[in-house]
Amino acid sequence: MKFSKSLVSALVAGVAAASFASGVMAQEVDAAKDLMKQNKCTQCHGMDKDKDGPSFKKTAAKYKGKADGEATLVKHLTSSPKVKLADGSEEEHKVVKTTPPNDKAQVTNLVKYILSL
Amino acid sequence: MWEKLRKPSVKYSLIGLLSTGFIAGILFWGGFNTAMEATNQLEFCIGCHEMRDNVYAEYKETIHYSNRTGVKAVCSDCHVPKDWTHKMIRKIQASKEVWGKITGVIDTPEKFEAHRMQLAQNEWNRMKASDSRECRNCHSFDAMSKEKQRGTPYKKHMAAKAEGKTCIDCHKGIAHKLPKEYEEPEDEE
Repeated sequence: MKFSKSLVSALVAGVAAASFASGVMAQEVDAAKDLMKQNKCTQCHGMDKDKDGPSFKKTAAKYKGKADGEATLVKHLTSSPKVKLADGSEEEHKVVKTTPPNDKAQVTNLVKYILSL
Repeated sequence: MWEKLRKPSVKYSLIGLLSTGFIAGILFWGGFNTAMEATNQLEFCIGCHEMRDNVYAEYKETIHYSNRTGVKAVCSDCHVPKDWTHKMIRKIQASKEVWGKITGVIDTPEKFEAHRMQLAQNEWNRMKASDSRECRNCHSFDAMSKEKQRGTPYKKHMAAKAEGKTCIDCHKGIAHKLPKEYEEPEDEE
């Protein structure tokens, strides 16, 4: 009886923690998607499809699991580096705009979302 | 009263009456236009907290508010037609917005967010219907320089011109936040 009681409370705590975590996750994913939308990222990057830039899934595959993957992508989105487009031309990548301006946490959240694809 | 008004004047000369009418007309017209211009000022628009705390705050972060060359577009430059006929039609339509202000349709941030999609959609439809007339007061496909515009935007602008697209087809949410319900078309080039 005692065992099952603690099992139940452990289960309840587990479920609560999981639902809390997924709640936070969902919120973070929504924030990332919104930032992506506000910055019109998909005009040059498809989710699965390459456009002028590579698809997000391709980027995720390239940087996922790499120690400096997240930092590299955050730098990519905040420092307007020169990038090579699909047609071979070179251009400066747009800096991701946030509200309030230059909020690195929002960009990092976006990078985390892209890496999760 | 009508009887008196319809009778010819016995006291005033025709030239006196015409001159008075002419001057009164100029004063009335000047006053009317001054009032119209006053309601086109940015300060007038942000006199209401609904505009000041939502769309104005967002616009202040964008290129139409602050940029390299100092050319600025205020609310009315994009939202009120310049030519007289369309301006009058828009001003009359704006009476509905005054009613909205009185009844408090968007008087809290939550209410504003709840209506954002509908408000944006109204404006996108208006711009689409006029071939983005207010954008074209300053921007035109023909004035875009291949040398001075970056490659990708130039390519996209020329493709859009060939396809008969208009500014607002691609440039939604450039001065204000896009509504949460809005989905960017995945295949938009």
